[in-house]
Amino acid sequence: MSEKRTARDTGFWWRNSAVWLAYLGVSLLLGFTYGGHWSGIVLISVMVSLCLWVGSAFIRGWALRHDWLQRDLLGLTWRLLLAVVIVAAATQLLTATALLPALAWDWVQLPGQRANYRPAAVFGYWFNTAIVLGVWCALWTGRRALQRARHSEMAQLRAEAQRATLEHQALRARLNPHFVFNALNNLRALINEDPARARDMVTHLSSTLRHALVHTDGGWVTLAEEWRVVQDYLAVEAIHYEDRLRVHTDIDPAALSARLPPMALQLLVENAIKHGIAVHPGGGELHLRAYFEGDGLRVEVDNPAAHDGGSGGHGIGLAYLRAQLGIDAVPSSSGRGTFLLERQGARVLARLEVQQ
Amino acid sequence: MSASLRVLIVDDARLARRELRTLLAAIPWVECVGEADDVPAAREAILREQPDLVLLDVQMPSGEGFDVLDGLETVPMVVFVTAYDQYAVRAFETNALDYLVKPVEAGRLQAALERGRERLPAPAAPAATDSVRDALGADDQVFLRDGERCWFVALGEIRKVVVDGNYARLWFRDQNAVLARSLSTLEARLSPALFFRANRSTLVNLRRVRAIEPSLGDGYDLTLDDGSQVEVSRRQARELRERLAL
Repeated sequence: MSEKRTARDTGFWWRNSAVWLAYLGVSLLLGFTYGGHWSGIVLISVMVSLCLWVGSAFIRGWALRHDWLQRDLLGLTWRLLLAVVIVAAATQLLTATALLPALAWDWVQLPGQRANYRPAAVFGYWFNTAIVLGVWCALWTGRRALQRARHSEMAQLRAEAQRATLEHQALRARLNPHFVFNALNNLRALINEDPARARDMVTHLSSTLRHALVHTDGGWVTLAEEWRVVQDYLAVEAIHYEDRLRVHTDIDPAALSARLPPMALQLLVENAIKHGIAVHPGGGELHLRAYFEGDGLRVEVDNPAAHDGGSGGHGIGLAYLRAQLGIDAVPSSSGRGTFLLERQGARVLARLEVQQ
Repeated sequence: MSASLRVLIVDDARLARRELRTLLAAIPWVECVGEADDVPAAREAILREQPDLVLLDVQMPSGEGFDVLDGLETVPMVVFVTAYDQYAVRAFETNALDYLVKPVEAGRLQAALERGRERLPAPAAPAATDSVRDALGADDQVFLRDGERCWFVALGEIRKVVVDGNYARLWFRDQNAVLARSLSTLEARLSPALFFRANRSTLVNLRRVRAIEPSLGDGYDLTLDDGSQVEVSRRQARELRERLAL
């Protein structure tokens, strides 16, 4: 951040120097053309340019430090005008302070060796300077505003792209393609083998898909609802894994009315099957418990650990779950629940706590 | 009647295997030689049945489909079968014959198997094969793996084999990869009609030699078809002359 600021400051310094050097060149040219070749004109032009160079940088610094650009148009305008008035006056004052002694001691020459400092002329000098500085301020503010507009547009586009990615991932998490296509493949074999079971399986699969597609608005569901769908889900997986998948459930009837994010239980079960059942040649046992603990719902799913020891938990399914609960990867109680995945000996336990 | 294609089915789900069997049964020139449900069983079945082609599931309990092939001396043709195509790109990099997604379309399966049948080597005359019965020929393919990348390489595609530590580095196409076997083990298994031990550290495929020039010290310099040079030691020079009947 500070490096970026330094780079931006350096960029401004070069641009601003170029602007006021150009201004100096133009004033000298005009002065020589209309006033003649006098060293006093050089001194005046250099003094004015120098003061405006420093003054404009000062205005910029002041404006940025005090967030003038965050203000409304009126607030910004009167502040800028005041700054212009003051800096233009200071410029003329400093120029006069340098010019008058220089003339008096003959360091520089002007026609008649005296400066015209009648009130009308002084006002004229000041007014010219103020106009130039005013134009500078307008250009600087305009440039800033343009940059900010572009910046916010980019930020908006980026945010939209990110949201689209998240939505896509959430949908992928809910509609696990591996599960869907394996189920359809098994279904095709089952149609020949056992048409009645195949018909049942269509029902289970439909229920699972509907649940994944319907609850996309983030509204929470009851454990009873979720459990019904998970039973359908398990029925589909049982056809794939057959006797390799052995499920034991222990759900306290009192907990059935508790609410939790849709798909929460299913994602836990899905994860347990993917990392705990599918990777073991003989399959394994999956335990599912749900009960009230204090005033919170506690759901526990445990499964045999994978051989590689990786506890996983980085999949898009669990990321989705964490996002739903508004919790971070580390167990904390900042959100509406906590989620924990831990290895216990040869098994992995996933524990979800949802505040009611 | 043309030769039948001997196919092995590897998938951990019983219904998936059954489905493939049903589909295979409809193709008269295909013979299903067995099924396997996991990596070790698949390796055994490949060694036992010597199938021409394997329909290989990408994910199994004990590992990936690639693990079935790793370490096999020669690999059959492979068609990957997967529920979801996240591994498909990788399967293509390995130039597997093809990949199929579940549920498998009968037409796609038949097309993949037909490609496999076209690649079947012509039935060799039994008398000729007797002497070099176990030697591997130009059509046999090996499976090479180097980190995330893997290849199926027909032995005829291999230009040269060079010692790399305890193992052998194979040069083929515009690639090279290490095979976890020693050069002498490989030499013993490769057909002498194809590969020649040019010096202590290098085997060259004689069909890939483009030029032979005498070198200082009674040896030869071989130029291979990729422009690389291999030196033939003096000890081996005589053997080379005999092999080529110079």
